[in-house]
Amino acid sequence: MSADTLNLAAEGGGGLFTPGGPGFEAPSVGIFFPSPWSWGDYSEALPYTSGITKYVILLLVATSLVVFFLWWTSRKLSVVPDRRQSILELVVLFVRDQISRPMIGVKGDKYLPLLVSLFLFIFAMNVMGIIPFLQLPVTSNLSYPAGLALVIYITFITVGIRSQGFTHYFKGAVVPSGAPGWILPLLVPIEILSNFIIRPATHAIRLFATMFAGHLLLATFAAGGWYMFNPAAGPLYGTISVLFSGSALLAFIIFTAFELVIMFLQAFVFTLLAALYIGQAQEAH
Amino acid sequence: MLGLAAEENVLRIHIDELVFGLIAFAVIFALVYRYAVPRVTKMLDERADSIEGGIERAKKAEAEAEELRQQFKEKLEEAHRSYAAELQKASEQSAAIIAEAREEAQAEARRIIEAAHAQIEADRQQAMEQLRAEIGALSAELAARIVGETLADSAAQSRVIDRFLAELESGSTQQAEVR
Repeated sequence: MSADTLNLAAEGGGGLFTPGGPGFEAPSVGIFFPSPWSWGDYSEALPYTSGITKYVILLLVATSLVVFFLWWTSRKLSVVPDRRQSILELVVLFVRDQISRPMIGVKGDKYLPLLVSLFLFIFAMNVMGIIPFLQLPVTSNLSYPAGLALVIYITFITVGIRSQGFTHYFKGAVVPSGAPGWILPLLVPIEILSNFIIRPATHAIRLFATMFAGHLLLATFAAGGWYMFNPAAGPLYGTISVLFSGSALLAFIIFTAFELVIMFLQAFVFTLLAALYIGQAQEAH
Repeated sequence: MLGLAAEENVLRIHIDELVFGLIAFAVIFALVYRYAVPRVTKMLDERADSIEGGIERAKKAEAEAEELRQQFKEKLEEAHRSYAAELQKASEQSAAIIAEAREEAQAEARRIIEAAHAQIEADRQQAMEQLRAEIGALSAELAARIVGETLADSAAQSRVIDRFLAELESGSTQQAEVR
């Protein structure tokens, strides 16, 4: 990312600390569109494809990380847990007691594998954003949250039809109970829009947008700090520039820690909403 | 990374990336579904079972210990009782033995005393018989002396008697020494 920001900062013309040099240009959304590798560049020929980009590589890294985590923590399970096993138990029990049980209840334990893998996968993809040299959250590309939201969309509709029956489920989902008959022509379209179109869209976009914005924020701090660092600008301007870029670095570090919290929180929220949707579909209205 | 792709819509959904994401998720889900969660759940159940079993076992052991303690207590009391009975019996026996011994001793003492009495009686009888025989001889001798001598006065008479008694005494002494 530093190469990106360096490039970005190098464009433009002139500024306070670099008289006659390039002016500051904030990182654009272009940082979310890494070029594909040439051997994977089929995006020119096919619409709605990107080719093998940095996102795909980071997806591979994140997936390997989760697979390794699962293998490493569950190699030798015993009744008396060691430290590795305790981590896995912590994750599984966290998802069960904080997400699955409050949203679906005890009968939701059968969705525990889905929720656990969802949580681990999203958190691993998010955390790519603060790992040095990788530094691009996979979920800042809408394709990945959209895929997961689609999985949950299909899952909760299937659960609803299976547990309530086709007619009963859709009737319960789009016709609000207790509403007077004359308002139904207005309410039913709204409910359809809300439950079957906006819900999966917001489910995906919430995660994507948070990661996107967080990454852009970090990139801005990094680019600004890098741009302002010019001790050769004279005794006064040099000192000020170093102080400015120092504070930008400090903010970058603080926001990186903040990002980590948000990455965890978004993984949690996505999983929580998935559990909520499944739980709602399972129970008759 | 070198050079950026042309500006695109931020809200893009690329089919290839979406499919890659789904494949990655399927891999993770398969692992979690087939491997991680069932094993963790099974292990958690086992742990709960073992903890419950442990509590159960501890309760059982406690009950057994209590029962054993009761048994020992009863046995101890029994032992105390039998000991007291034995003691009682022994003291009775010893009293009986002492009484018997005392009786025997008394009988023995009586027997000895009786034997001594009989001996004394026998000795006395013998002495009496000897004395009777000697008294006869002495009486005859005294009578001969009285008759043989002239008894002038009472002084001479008493002298004779005295001499006779003295002789008698010395004689009995000699006799006693002979015996």
